[in-house]
Amino acid sequence: MEFIQEVPGIHEVILKDKLIKKKMMRRMSLFPHQAAPLGNLELTSDEIQKEFENDTRELVSELVNLPTRARIQAMRALPLSFHERRYVRSRVMSVKHSKKNDLLPTCCTDCHQQTSLFCRRFGAGVTTARKRLVIWQDALKEIGGRFGTSVLSYFRFVKWLLLFNIISLLINFSFITIPQIIHSPNITHTVNFRGLELLTGAGYFNQTVFFYGGYNGEVIVNQPPYNMQLAYFFTIAAYMVLCGVSLIYSMARSFQKNFVLVSGPAYGGAWRLLCSWDFSVVNEKAIQNHKNNLSVQLKETLSERFQRKARVSVSTVLKRLALSLVAWTLCVLLAIGSCAGIYFLQSDQSRLVSGLADDLNAEASTLILPVVVSLINLIIPLTFSLINKMEHYTNPRTNIYIGIMRNVLLKMSILGILCFYWLSEVPYTISCWESFVGQSVYRLVLVDFIFCLLGSFFGEFLRNIIGTKCFPSLGVPEFDIATNVLNLIYAQTLAWIGIYFSPLLPIIQVIKLFIIFYLKRVSLSMNCQPPKHTGRAAQMQTVYVALLFFPSFIGALSLVAYTVWSLKPSEQCGPFQGLDKPFQTVHQWMDTVHNIPGSEWAWWIFEHVLRNELFFYLITLIVLVLTYFLWQVTQGRKQLIRTLREQIVNEGKDKTFLLNRLQSIQKQRRATAAFSPQEYTERTYFNQNWMNTLPLEM
Amino acid sequence: MGTTATKLPKDQLSEYQELTFLTKQEILLAHKRFTELLERNDRQQPSSRVPMDKICALPELKSNPFRRRICHVFSTSDTKDGSLSFEDFLDLLSAFSDSATLEIKSHYAFRIFDFDDDGTLDHGDLEKLVNCLTGESADTRLTPEEMSQLINNILEESDIDKDGTVNLSEFQHVISRSPDFVSSFKIVL
Repeated sequence: MEFIQEVPGIHEVILKDKLIKKKMMRRMSLFPHQAAPLGNLELTSDEIQKEFENDTRELVSELVNLPTRARIQAMRALPLSFHERRYVRSRVMSVKHSKKNDLLPTCCTDCHQQTSLFCRRFGAGVTTARKRLVIWQDALKEIGGRFGTSVLSYFRFVKWLLLFNIISLLINFSFITIPQIIHSPNITHTVNFRGLELLTGAGYFNQTVFFYGGYNGEVIVNQPPYNMQLAYFFTIAAYMVLCGVSLIYSMARSFQKNFVLVSGPAYGGAWRLLCSWDFSVVNEKAIQNHKNNLSVQLKETLSERFQRKARVSVSTVLKRLALSLVAWTLCVLLAIGSCAGIYFLQSDQSRLVSGLADDLNAEASTLILPVVVSLINLIIPLTFSLINKMEHYTNPRTNIYIGIMRNVLLKMSILGILCFYWLSEVPYTISCWESFVGQSVYRLVLVDFIFCLLGSFFGEFLRNIIGTKCFPSLGVPEFDIATNVLNLIYAQTLAWIGIYFSPLLPIIQVIKLFIIFYLKRVSLSMNCQPPKHTGRAAQMQTVYVALLFFPSFIGALSLVAYTVWSLKPSEQCGPFQGLDKPFQTVHQWMDTVHNIPGSEWAWWIFEHVLRNELFFYLITLIVLVLTYFLWQVTQGRKQLIRTLREQIVNEGKDKTFLLNRLQSIQKQRRATAAFSPQEYTERTYFNQNWMNTLPLEM
Repeated sequence: MGTTATKLPKDQLSEYQELTFLTKQEILLAHKRFTELLERNDRQQPSSRVPMDKICALPELKSNPFRRRICHVFSTSDTKDGSLSFEDFLDLLSAFSDSATLEIKSHYAFRIFDFDDDGTLDHGDLEKLVNCLTGESADTRLTPEEMSQLINNILEESDIDKDGTVNLSEFQHVISRSPDFVSSFKIVL
């Protein structure tokens, strides 16, 4: 049956598809724009017609042989006008039809046709439905249309993080929380709900499933038995692995797409002119801005080129170096200062809390630290940008990257100092320390959210009013993508750190991201203008994903891993009470596995491979060797690209040389033909541009 | 009759779906917008055209510096007046849609930038392109020296076979290195 014929040979299909595309490209470049150069080639209209007919016939016969889906795709992708595509389609259809008529129209073929039609319609329906289901599709379109791709990348990032958190919420909820709730549905609350808990996470929430303390580690004996310890351990581990894999995957993908392909000679002005225009922007003001910025940037690059030729004197280089050294020292000092402040506040506060246990004031005082952290996060980056203004960088992109680096340094050192405190002192001083850490993270997440709301109100709304009403010279604020993205990364790091201590923390993160999306959207359209220096949006996106991976995810992962592997869980609460380390649950489990007959191999693998250092040395060694090997391959490819490029240039030279020869010969022949005009037939004039129409295979 | 006249026949709709990158909803929306642009008595005829000025006045194209070029490129009118039939209009939206391939997008981008329709981007085309992008006002316009310097830079970077012009494959080569292009070459109704 035809269906069976369609399935095999996917490679063949792809090959054919490529062939057709190549042909069409050739055809389109031979006959661009209503065949204008054909006049130059001085072909008669009959011949043009014939050539056209030949090409079309070839194309039709190739299209007929493709399976239905691929044919539709190929026809859509023909760079022809709609009329021509329709013509091609009708020819294809008629050929198909005549073929069909050769076969006897049995009930079976009819049925088959019907089903294939149905399947196709169904497939189309599903794709449309899927497109509609994607969250915020229209909102994203609108944002892209009004503010351009670089702003859009921020909102895409929000959406991406939201998906991450929804997945983690689903996993945690279904594998940890639901069994726990089923197992022991009524937790006795010693404290009444007062409202302040919403902010602090303490008191009423302390014993709920929101935090580590609300779970207990007994094996649920109902049928089927459910081992809570293992479930807790493996759920968190699976989520972390999932996050890591998807981060690495998307990072590698976008790195390959946006950096590796980009590096090359086509980099500066050509890119800016040929592909930077954002056709999707329809806002009049935004377009005017875009034009102005583009003109400024072009002028800058040109003057930079001139400057690069003019050598910079040694004294200015030294001055710049000294300036950036001063700036870096200032930034590092500020970061260290804020870290020290946070550390002392933290340890002071724990003394305060232990003195005033179970009092409303004590509970409220726990909010001091998150507020201070958020204030630092708000104010120090502003100072950094002031410091940044004092420096001088020739390349605006270096400027942006340095700003990002300093902010990341600050945020990560703050988180680092907090984590250090939580892991080095808290476990030995507080009875249910995991819940305590969970509550601290909860407070940080929540206060950060409140500051984000306030920030967009005061920072953007009021700044807009001041800029438009009081000091028109200030103008409308720009939407600062870098700061906003870094705040998101910071919040996500907190969420990852808290996942072990508070398994339902992703709820907060989901709500937060959801609100942030709408808030920023409104704030953007009411208060802000699109940023002036839009770097290359796609590249910046890669940097953000990389930042999310390297300090943020890796940091959180190592924190959780350290907790699981080497910290003693609290004795009074939580799933792992009574164990030396949470990881011990796996040991215990493996021991029970050992006793089950027929599964000794699993125990053997665990005992001799996974617990053996040599195994990990070997894996590291293999990875290193592989990396080296792949690096060598890339080096070889680079060499190859260089050679091929030279070859293209040489061939271009060859072509020009041959063309000149051809033209001079033609001139001679025309001169001789002037004596005997009957024998000379027109037609062999050559257009100087014909060589551009040859496809350049690269 | 007004409502029935603006409806698309089912088989035509499926044909449009099959031959363009647009979804059913997008085609219907495009049809609605297009019939609004037509004169009342032209609405009955399937092949009636909308003049270029009306297309350029659409809010999606109104401020686009390339609007006239876009109309010219997608128009199949015999008189080359840039007027669009409904199918031309669909073609335009299809090429600028989300799901169009990079090849199609770069092909049409090339034709839009090729102001003199000769199949290559030469010095003159690039100059017009720069003027379109930076705007015609005195403070944003580049000086002649800057312009020639810029065009030389562009050719140096993208003219691989060194024949003084950028052809389609060279153009596509530049574009293949710009990951933002696909998302920015987009017009949505």
